[in-house]
Amino acid sequence: MMKTQLLVVGGGPAGLCGAIEASRYGVETLIVDEGVELGGQLVKQTHKFFGHEGFFASVRGFEIARRLKNQLNHHVKVMLQTTVVGIYEDVVVLYNREKDRTFEVQADYILLATGASERFIQFENNHLPGVYGAGAVQTLMNQFMVLPGKRFLMVGSGNIGLIVSYQLLQAGAEVAAIVEIADRVGGYDVHLRKIKRFGVPVLLRHTIKKALGEEKVTGAVVVQVDEKFRPIGGTEREFAVDVICIAAGLTPSVELAAMANVKIEYVPELGGFVPYRDQNMRTNVENIFIAGDLAGIEEATTAMIEGRIAGLTIAQSVVGVDVSKEIEALQNELVEFRSGPFSEKVRKGLSRFFPQRTVEFSRQPQIDKGPVGKLRPIIECYENIPCNPCQTSCPAGAIEVPGNINSLPRIDYEKCTGCGICVSKCPGLAIFMVQENVEPGFDLVVIPYEMVPLPEKDERVIALDREGKEVCEAQVVKVLRFPDMTNLIYLKVPAGYSERVRNFRTLKRGNVLVCRCEEVTLEEVERAIELGFTDYEELRRYLRVGMGMCGGRTCRSTVLSILSQKLGKSPGELLKGRFRPPVMPVKFESILRGETNED
Amino acid sequence: MEHPILKAKTARTVKFYFEDKELEALEGETIAAALIANGIDVFGESEHGRPRGFFCAIGKCSSCLMVVDGEPNVRVCITLVKEGMRVQRQLGRSDVA
Repeated sequence: MMKTQLLVVGGGPAGLCGAIEASRYGVETLIVDEGVELGGQLVKQTHKFFGHEGFFASVRGFEIARRLKNQLNHHVKVMLQTTVVGIYEDVVVLYNREKDRTFEVQADYILLATGASERFIQFENNHLPGVYGAGAVQTLMNQFMVLPGKRFLMVGSGNIGLIVSYQLLQAGAEVAAIVEIADRVGGYDVHLRKIKRFGVPVLLRHTIKKALGEEKVTGAVVVQVDEKFRPIGGTEREFAVDVICIAAGLTPSVELAAMANVKIEYVPELGGFVPYRDQNMRTNVENIFIAGDLAGIEEATTAMIEGRIAGLTIAQSVVGVDVSKEIEALQNELVEFRSGPFSEKVRKGLSRFFPQRTVEFSRQPQIDKGPVGKLRPIIECYENIPCNPCQTSCPAGAIEVPGNINSLPRIDYEKCTGCGICVSKCPGLAIFMVQENVEPGFDLVVIPYEMVPLPEKDERVIALDREGKEVCEAQVVKVLRFPDMTNLIYLKVPAGYSERVRNFRTLKRGNVLVCRCEEVTLEEVERAIELGFTDYEELRRYLRVGMGMCGGRTCRSTVLSILSQKLGKSPGELLKGRFRPPVMPVKFESILRGETNED
Repeated sequence: MEHPILKAKTARTVKFYFEDKELEALEGETIAAALIANGIDVFGESEHGRPRGFFCAIGKCSSCLMVVDGEPNVRVCITLVKEGMRVQRQLGRSDVA
């Protein structure tokens, strides 16, 4: 029988933070987690978090997991690949998969941070392999770097649906569409904009009707719904996809709390059945605490704060230290994080347990677009989400998020130096820079970019607008790399386009070959011509086009016609290049045999 | 795969078997991830003969049950792949003793 002062069930953001705080005051802590590594769902979060510096704003989720793990001290023991299978009056039973055996633990205090599971929704053939929870796809692609398909349909437009869609694009997958049964997108506007500018269609008032396929998913039928969410006959559309991602929300994993006699209440705003708890995360059972998604579906930052409150409250009871000031400060943080419009539901749900407060913030957006002709940021952040890295990262102190982090940012263009740091730091990728008339007839647009491949300086690209539609050609004039992988691409666009251009796609056609033998691509030929190689012989020496086994019989005429188009000359005017023997390769051995065996 | 944020995994490769076919995996991968990497996404059949994939990938949904080294009902989404491991599709509730 093992004994511990604190048993933490679940090593995600809430559980880790609980363990960090309790162990900081010397509480002997055991963390038990089912997964193969600590960090819970943080390990698959590749996006930067919102919030403020105190809680890892603008840091990517997997990096937050790493930092939290480093904060655990010698009072903490960890058991991975271990499931808590039951909580009994006198003992907790664990099952470890590696050792294939159960263990018994006695704990003075238990912090349940079991998280949540993904909602499954009902449509025909929803059992088919290829129907995944959006989180499952995220685990596979971001934790293990494997993609379960090529073309995805996302069902649900909450933050998870939007974020996973964006991350699918980053992993090189195609997102056929996002369907949303409601008449508005559920997640943050900044997340929506990130995928819209890549042209991903978002179909409101649509839902999935059926998965197609016998053995696995080969497609999906999507249908429009009326105001009561009933399918409208005749509006069905088929999508050829091999994965259907369900992002229909999460349900708290309450099993262990329930068997430990914690009161479970139905609070739809918190995700359904949730355990009762007070402001200190203590349940109705004196020594059992909860935190994170189990206590109500929210997001990782509030989960971390709740975990800390629980850990400190437990430390207070075990060690007898007075940490009430710290706890109060964290409770105030929660109030601030939950004051915005997106937390209205959570506030309503939590008011069942204890009264909710909010802080005032500014809803006044920036109206001034700044002085024309100056290189300056344009902040396209129009929703009150709790976030302020634009302010804290600005070395010139030009950006202010007045009052508290829920306010909309304001920028003082007099102070701004156009350094671009805010553009790279903004977790919503919602800041761009523009400058009119950088040279006669051209404007500049600076775009935060998190895709591969990165374009090269001088590369020509197709500029896209906020909807992902092509608007004009553009030229990359600078690529500013940042260590946290949000790089800035400086695009020169025709005058007047800086207001519209918010993305681009490369012209790269890596797989379009001109020369089959030497595998020379169309893009390489065109680029070489632009660099000034304007006759066949030069191109041959530079690219090896036409120097392969076929002797140029397949590609010579193609290269000449590309030259003709690019230079505006008829093929007859071009030098067609030399023809040299051998017409086809002949072995030296054969030649020698011809020389020596005279017949 | 090339990725704008994540570095490619550099773990040692291990060999395992899926239905007698030898496959490669990276050490530290779950069995589920290794199978997906090898293009296998039908993990078994339900009791009523429906093809079964998995849904949550974090050990909660229990759709990923497979027979591993003769043992049925292994949640392959949270079980690490090991050298020489034998993984089979689970049919129904599995009759393997």
